Amino acid sequence: MAARFLSKSSSGSSLLGALGTSLVGVGSVARQTTSKLTYSDIFFQQQRTFVQMGTKLKVVDNSGAKRVMCIQALKSKKGAKLGDIIIGSVKEAQPRGKVKKGDVVYGVVVRAAMQRGRCDGSHVRFDDNAVVLVNKQGEPIGTRVFGPVPHELRKKKHVKILALAEHIA
Amino acid sequence: MISVVRSRFVTAALASSSPWKYLAGFLPNFSTSAEAAEAPSKKALLDLSEVEKILSDVKAGDVRVIPVRDQCDYTDYMVVASGRSSWHVRNIADALIHKVKQKQRGSDRLILPSVEGSEAGKWIVVDSGTIIVHALDEKARAYYNLESLWTKEASEKVPCLDLENALVKSRRRNNSKKPMKSVLTA
Repeated sequence: MAARFLSKSSSGSSLLGALGTSLVGVGSVARQTTSKLTYSDIFFQQQRTFVQMGTKLKVVDNSGAKRVMCIQALKSKKGAKLGDIIIGSVKEAQPRGKVKKGDVVYGVVVRAAMQRGRCDGSHVRFDDNAVVLVNKQGEPIGTRVFGPVPHELRKKKHVKILALAEHIA
Repeated sequence: MISVVRSRFVTAALASSSPWKYLAGFLPNFSTSAEAAEAPSKKALLDLSEVEKILSDVKAGDVRVIPVRDQCDYTDYMVVASGRSSWHVRNIADALIHKVKQKQRGSDRLILPSVEGSEAGKWIVVDSGTIIVHALDEKARAYYNLESLWTKEASEKVPCLDLENALVKSRRRNNSKKPMKSVLTA
């Protein structure tokens, strides 16, 4: 299976694809593939889907929350993709933070396990689902964003989150 | 390993400059933005000198221009300006858009920079490709502390402030019959 991944997936992700799930704790990494998926690839890979009601997401800013469960994906019946806004309920929070457990907050999805196509034909896919908490007007509640964030946020008019991010994928 | 992945994304970012297709005039800018010491003669919506002139005309406070070409690959200059009130912040953004419209008067298709955050006037971002202008309230500027992200000498400690309390003007209610004690008499 490792050899199959190496031959099929292109770009720098091939090295990581071979190691698979043994990379615990490295943090999330974005992967890009440009090859066509064949039947055997689909058989071995998981089918990732949208961020929908019930999805648990990680919070990657310093607003105080740690985990958020999505209760509504705005703008789409199917679910939220990378760069969309969701409404979530804070499930776990740091003791002295700006939000506390049980708050209903808005968030922008900055990392999603489902791949998102770019205009040049490549796809971006992250290892985890992550969100940045925002208020109703779209202003981020925290002051710094951790981990990689994709370029798609610029097109979706979330330049504020890009400006606060430390690493752009 | 992380460095390998990172280099891939620099090239991917250059190759995928077409996501920014809505700024149709800038595709040549992004393909050349990786070269160091590029001569600033490329066509842009607004030049840096024009932006500075507009900000001084509108009397924006504490204008800082930060060249981030070596740190960010999506833009060249970050301009941070503060306004005295949310009306002032909105005025700064409108003045920039007005200048862009004036520059392009007479052409059949206008390319306008994207404006975010204009309904709540605390932080407005005018994104014109190579130059991104952040117009903030004074309290929002202290809260978000954007300069310390791109300039290395600022301190790393971020003050923990509550967003709602930081950005709301509040006056102490004096319900007692005694007048408020000022600091000088106490």
